[in-house]
Amino acid sequence: MSVPASQMWAVASYVIKQKLRGRKRYPLVLMLEPLFRCNLTCAGCGKIQYPAQILRKQLSVEACLKAVDECGAPIVSIPGGEPLMYPQIGELVDALVKRKKYVYLCTNALLLKEELEAGVFKPSKYLSFSIHMDGLRADHDEAVCRDGVYDTAVEGIREALRRGFRVTTNTTLFDGANPLRMREFFDEMMTLGVEGMMVSPGYSYSKAPDQEHFLRRSKTHGLFSAMLSNPKKQWKFNQSPLFLQFLMGKHDYECTPWGNPTFNLFGWQRPCYLLQEGYAESFQDLMENTRWENYGRKSGNEKCLDCMVHCGFEATAVDQTFSSWQGFRDTVVATLTGKL
Amino acid sequence: MTLEGWVPKLGEYLALAEVIDLAFDYRGNTTVVKVDGSEVEGYIFNRNRHVPEPFIQMFDLAGERPLKILYSEIQNIKFTGKDMAAGNSWIAWLERKEKEAAEKAPRRDKGME
Repeated sequence: MSVPASQMWAVASYVIKQKLRGRKRYPLVLMLEPLFRCNLTCAGCGKIQYPAQILRKQLSVEACLKAVDECGAPIVSIPGGEPLMYPQIGELVDALVKRKKYVYLCTNALLLKEELEAGVFKPSKYLSFSIHMDGLRADHDEAVCRDGVYDTAVEGIREALRRGFRVTTNTTLFDGANPLRMREFFDEMMTLGVEGMMVSPGYSYSKAPDQEHFLRRSKTHGLFSAMLSNPKKQWKFNQSPLFLQFLMGKHDYECTPWGNPTFNLFGWQRPCYLLQEGYAESFQDLMENTRWENYGRKSGNEKCLDCMVHCGFEATAVDQTFSSWQGFRDTVVATLTGKL
Repeated sequence: MTLEGWVPKLGEYLALAEVIDLAFDYRGNTTVVKVDGSEVEGYIFNRNRHVPEPFIQMFDLAGERPLKILYSEIQNIKFTGKDMAAGNSWIAWLERKEKEAAEKAPRRDKGME
């Protein structure tokens, strides 16, 4: 596993503090979406289909920082839309780094080289570019519905690494993903020199253009077992090993929908990053007035039955690490040996 | 299937609350017809019927700031704007790829002759 020790410590001390305070529900990663505009229209994405006046809008830096302070999570992930199209992205990241938040800037990297050359960002242990890479060249370009995107992203990764930035990748997998090609993809990313990789099955957004290729639970177990059951030593994953084991079917976790709360142009999204059932005006309103019992597998909510996405289950996996000796031991063993 | 262009006929079999739910789920602009006869066109991004005075929130076409309209002020909602989620960009992309591949294939055959 490749999460830096300082980040692991920040997350561990935060989780332990929450437990000592007796907080039943606490956020781990704030998903901050400053805009919905994007320069791609990926098949599996249900995030960007809005009328023009909404796509033109963006959050102010002040509104973003207010949300960060309200939420208090130690990690801030900035997806979107494409965050490099947000004009104040440099200012926002600077302010987050000053607050000692670990920032994952989730980008398709089409504008990355340009932004780096313009000096928009400064390397920091708190900032990681999380590059959207859904597989090798052909697979990735197909997933993002445009040829040439993989090569541009690789160029961006090289430039960021050359300039001393932390770089990770995030990969969403759909039905039909080939485990052998994915293993080649992991080799390729490690050869490029990224710090670590994040993988997750996709979620069947009702608004996504491609509705046929989302993974069902048993297929997810099969795919991730085939990919990860004999991991190469050089592979590094920037996520909880217990979450990866969950994807392989080794643990049966329940979703933690409040683990990755989402803030965007409309407010605090209920109940989670994936489902859009309304908006709360404040983080407190989200946490206190969302009917959490209606979500997760046990609830019987059909929208949750096949979901195994990181934003619901990684927080569960992290919580497991600090909830039992077995969870702690499993995490330490997997981290030290690299075996899943 | 898209609701684009739909003007709901409210009555015994279709309640306003259902139409509001559909409008909330619709990824396009709608026109809210108010009981006083006025109309507001925009994007409905929120609705809450679990409060004493149920309301919707929307950005009008200028997108300046969210408007709050009570359920009790709404007569009907027309699905007037383009449904932005109704596209089939992935299918269109696959078709384009197949067409490109088909165009390349005869050229290869010719080269081999």
